[in-house]
Amino acid sequence: MKKRAITLTINGEEYNLNVPVHYTLLQVMRDQLNLTDVKYGCGRGECGACTVLLDVGKGGMQCKPTDKKTTYCTMSQSKRKPILACIALAATMDGKSITTVAGLAQNGDLHPVQKAFVDESAIQCGFCTPGMVLKAVSILEKNPKPSEEEIRNGLEGNICRCTGYVKIVKAVQVASKKTATGKR
Amino acid sequence: MAESVIGKRIPKVDSREKVTGQAMYAGDYRMPGMYYGKVVRCWEYASAKVKKLDFTEALKMPGVVKILGPDDVTKKPYNTTVMKLLVPEIFGEVFGEIADLNIFNKIVKHQGDAICGVIARTEEAAERAADKIKVTYEPLPVLMTCEESKAEGAKKNGYLFTPLKPGNKAFDLPASFFPNQRYGWNDKDGKTAMELFDKCDYVIEDTYYVPKQKQCQMENHSYVAHYDERGRLNIWTSTQMAKPVQVLIAELFELPLTRVRLVQTIVGGGFGVRLGMIGEPHCCAMAMAVPGHPVRMEFLREEDWVASETRYPGHIWFKCGFKKDGSPIALDSMYMARKGGYYTHGSGPPFCFAAFIHGMYKWQAMGCQTEGYFTNEVPTGAYRGYGNPQLAFSGEQMITRMCKELGLDELEWRKKWHKGIGDETWLKGVTFASDGLNDCLDVAAKESGWYEKKKKYAKQTGVKRRGLGVSVMQHTSGAFPMLLEHSVCTAKLNEDCTVELMQQISDLGTGGHTAITQMAAETLGFPMEDIHLRSGDSDMCGFDIGAHASRTVYCAGPATIEACESVKKQLLERAAQLLEANVKDLQMKDKIISVKGNPQKSISAIKIAKEGVYNYIDAATGKTIGIPGQIQGYSSFFAKHCSPPFGACISEVEVDTETGEIKVLKLVNAHDIGKAIHPPSVEGQLEGGAQQGLGFVLTEEYAYDKMGRVLNNDFTDYKMLGPSDMPDAKIILIESAPDPIGPMGAKSCGESALMGPIGSVANAIFDAIGIQFKEAPITPEKVLKAIKEQGLQK
Ligand code: FES
Ligand code: FES
Repeated sequence: MKKRAITLTINGEEYNLNVPVHYTLLQVMRDQLNLTDVKYGCGRGECGACTVLLDVGKGGMQCKPTDKKTTYCTMSQSKRKPILACIALAATMDGKSITTVAGLAQNGDLHPVQKAFVDESAIQCGFCTPGMVLKAVSILEKNPKPSEEEIRNGLEGNICRCTGYVKIVKAVQVASKKTATGKR
Repeated sequence: MAESVIGKRIPKVDSREKVTGQAMYAGDYRMPGMYYGKVVRCWEYASAKVKKLDFTEALKMPGVVKILGPDDVTKKPYNTTVMKLLVPEIFGEVFGEIADLNIFNKIVKHQGDAICGVIARTEEAAERAADKIKVTYEPLPVLMTCEESKAEGAKKNGYLFTPLKPGNKAFDLPASFFPNQRYGWNDKDGKTAMELFDKCDYVIEDTYYVPKQKQCQMENHSYVAHYDERGRLNIWTSTQMAKPVQVLIAELFELPLTRVRLVQTIVGGGFGVRLGMIGEPHCCAMAMAVPGHPVRMEFLREEDWVASETRYPGHIWFKCGFKKDGSPIALDSMYMARKGGYYTHGSGPPFCFAAFIHGMYKWQAMGCQTEGYFTNEVPTGAYRGYGNPQLAFSGEQMITRMCKELGLDELEWRKKWHKGIGDETWLKGVTFASDGLNDCLDVAAKESGWYEKKKKYAKQTGVKRRGLGVSVMQHTSGAFPMLLEHSVCTAKLNEDCTVELMQQISDLGTGGHTAITQMAAETLGFPMEDIHLRSGDSDMCGFDIGAHASRTVYCAGPATIEACESVKKQLLERAAQLLEANVKDLQMKDKIISVKGNPQKSISAIKIAKEGVYNYIDAATGKTIGIPGQIQGYSSFFAKHCSPPFGACISEVEVDTETGEIKVLKLVNAHDIGKAIHPPSVEGQLEGGAQQGLGFVLTEEYAYDKMGRVLNNDFTDYKMLGPSDMPDAKIILIESAPDPIGPMGAKSCGESALMGPIGSVANAIFDAIGIQFKEAPITPEKVLKAIKEQGLQK
C-alpha cells in the first residue's frame, strides 16, 4: 500500500500523518484520527454530510505601518471554502488547514451559526448538522447579508431529510443578523 | 410551581452536542480490538439461486479473519419486524405472519440480498476480501409486478418466494376475521357498500398508483456488536425500537434475554426504516464468530437502497357513491401492493390504509380490501405514515373530483362530512375524543387566501397556470388498542434533588426527548437543567416499545409523568412526616415544600433527598437524621387510547404547461396537535414531513431495470427536494381542541406531516390545469404527456 507523509492542520492542531495514497480525507479523519464529527452520508459527493472548511487565505489581524507613527491594522476573517471530505484525497491535503464543526466554537462560546441552529431548533436528528453548519458559515463569510434565495442556493448540495430546511434557513438568517451587527 | 415550560420555545435538550459534533451515532463508535464486518450482497441479480460460493482467494487476502457463509451462521429464519411482539400470537396467525428471511441466503429474492460476510482487521481489508469472493449464480425469473407474480405463482411448480405463501400471495385480509375480506362497516340495515351503489345518484371509480419511496435517513445503518467474555452479546445500534429489537436478537440467536445487551445510540433519522432489524443479525452473527472482538459494520449508502425496507408501492382502486347533494353513501376500495422479496410487515401498511379510510368520512357503508404479492424488489416495510400517504394521494383526489363534478365547495364538504367526537376512529370501537379539524380548515383557508384565490384563478389563460388544493387527514397517536402500547420509566432522585429518567425511548430527531424532559420538569416543578433523560442501555431501562406510530410523547410521556408524580408524592409524604402536617396541605415550589397558607412551616426538598441517601446516625440521640431511602419513581404505563390528530393542508402550485414543471408556491399546513409541548419540534415535524410528502407526490420513486436492479440508488438520480426547491411552508398549530386523554392535552404529529402536502398538491395541480393525475409521483413528463393527450381542461 503506497503511503504519503503529509502535514495537515485540523482545527488549529497540526497532524503529521502517513496516509495511504488512495484514502479520502474522510477516511483519514474518521478512521485514522477518530474525528467522527465529520459524517459519512453517501461517500460520493452528493449529500454534504462530510463538509469541512478549507482555509484558503490568512485570517486574523494584519498590521502594516503606514508611516513612522501609525500602524494600520485590519481584522480579516480567514477565507474558508467548503469542501467534501469524502471526495478529497488526503494525500493532496499536505500543508492544508481545515476546520470542522468541533473547531468552530471559541473559548467555549458557540459560533454564531451554531448558536442560531440551537436557538432556532434547526437540528433534528443532527446528522446533516455538522456539514450544514459549516456550509452556512462559509456562506456568511463570503456574504454576511445573504438574501433568503442566496442562502437556499448556497445550501444546495447539503441534504437534510428531517427539517424541510425551514428552520435551517431561518437559523442562517438569524446568524447573519447577529454577525452583521457585531453581536456574538 | 416554577414557571411552566410546557409550550415554551426552549432549545432542545440534545442540540448542543449535535451542533458541536459530539453526538455519537452508531458509526462513530470505535473499540479496542475491533474488527470490521462486510456483508457480501448480490448486486447482479434480483432473482437467482446461489450455485457455488468460493472463498479460496478471499481467504488469502491480508487482514482477513473469517468468512461466514449461509451454513456458518444460524439458519433460523426470521422476520425483520417487531410486529409479533406487539400483538397476541393469535393475531399474527390470523394475518399469516411468517419468518422467511435468513442472515445469509442461498436464494436471492431481490437485489442486495445478503450472501455471506467477511470479518477482517480493517474495513479496507474486509472490502478487498469481499471483492475476491466468487459467487456463481443461476438466474431465476424476475417478477416485478403483482400480475407477473400471481401468474407465475399460479403455475404448477411455479416460482415460489416461500412455500409458506403458495401462489406468491404475501397477504390479504383473512375472511375468517374480515367479512367479505374487507375492513369497514355496513349501513344501518346491514347492507355492504357494494349493495348501496345502486341507491346513489352519483358514482365514481378510479385507480391510482402510489410509488415505492425510500426513507433516505441521512445516517447510514451502522453497528458494533461484541460477544464478550461473560457470554453476552452486546450491540450498539441506532434502531427506533430498542427493546423489541433486543428481544428479536435474543430469539434469533437463541439466547436468554439477559445475555443480549442492546445499546441504542443517537439516531440519525428513522422515518420507519429502523423499525425492526436491518443489519443487526449480520453484525451479531459476525461478532459471535469472533468472541472477544467487537465487530463494526457500516452500510454503504448504496447498500441502504437495496438492503433496507421501503414504502409499499401499488395500485389503489376506489368506487364511491354519493347523493346529488354530496352526501357520502358508499365506499369500496382495494389496495393491491407489491410486497418486494420478503414478508416483513405483511399486510400492515395496506391494512392501515384501510383503517385511515375508516377514520376519515361518514360513509353509510365502507369497505376496503388489501392484497399483496411478492416481487423481486427491495422488501417493503414501515415508512412514516404507514399507509396514510397512499390514502392522501388517492382518496383526497377522489373527493375533490366528486366535489368538482357535483359543483360543491370541496372545503365545505370536508368540514361537513369528516368524522368527529363520538364517531369511530381508524379502529372499530374506538371513538374520537377531540376534533380540531374545522379550525384547521378555517385557519388554513384564511392563511392561504383560499376563497379569493380560487376566484382569481378560475379563468386563466397563460402558459403558467396556478391552482389551489386542499386535503385533510387524521392519523393516530400510538397504536392502541391494535398494538401493545407499553412504556416504562424510572425517575431517580439524586441526593441533590436532581433527576435522571431512565427510559428506553429513542429520539429520532423529533424532539421527543425534549418534550419528555419538559413533561418531567412540569410535573416536578424542577428546572429543565436538573433533569436528564437517559435512554439507550437495555441493562438500565425497563420495557418500552420504542419510537413508532407517532407514539413517543403520547405513550412514553405519560410513563414519565407518572414516575415523576411518584417522586413528588414521596417527597411530600416525607415532608408531611417531618413537618407533622397533612400531605394534602403541602405544596412544593422551587424545591421548598411548605404548608399552604403557612409558608414558614416548610422544609427543603433538597434536604429530604440528601438525608434519604446520607442517612447518618445522630451520635447524641442514636436516631437517624431524616428519613432513610433514596427516592425513585416508577411507572409501567399502558396507553388507553390513540387520540387521532387531524390536519388540513392547502397548497398553491404553478404548472408550466409548456415544460410540465410544477412549482409549489405555498403550503399551509394546519395541524390539530391538541397541545404542543415543544412547539418548535412540532413545527419541525410538519416542515420536514412536507419535504417527504412533496417528494412522494412530485419526484421520488425507485426505478428498476428489467433485471430488477435499482437504477437510482443515489442522491443524484433519486430526486429529493433540496433547499431551493422547497416552497414557502407555513405551519400552524391548532390547540383549540386539547385532547382529554393525551398527556397534557397532546396528540401526535410525527407522521401526520406527509399527508396534507401530498393530497393538497395533487388537488392543486388538478385545479390549475383541470387534469387529475392518478399516478404518483406527478413528474413534468407525465404532465406534458397528459396535456398533450387530454388538452388543458381549464
Ligand atoms: S458523504 Fe455525502 S457528500 Fe461526502
Ligand atoms: S437534521 Fe436530520 S438530516 Fe438534517
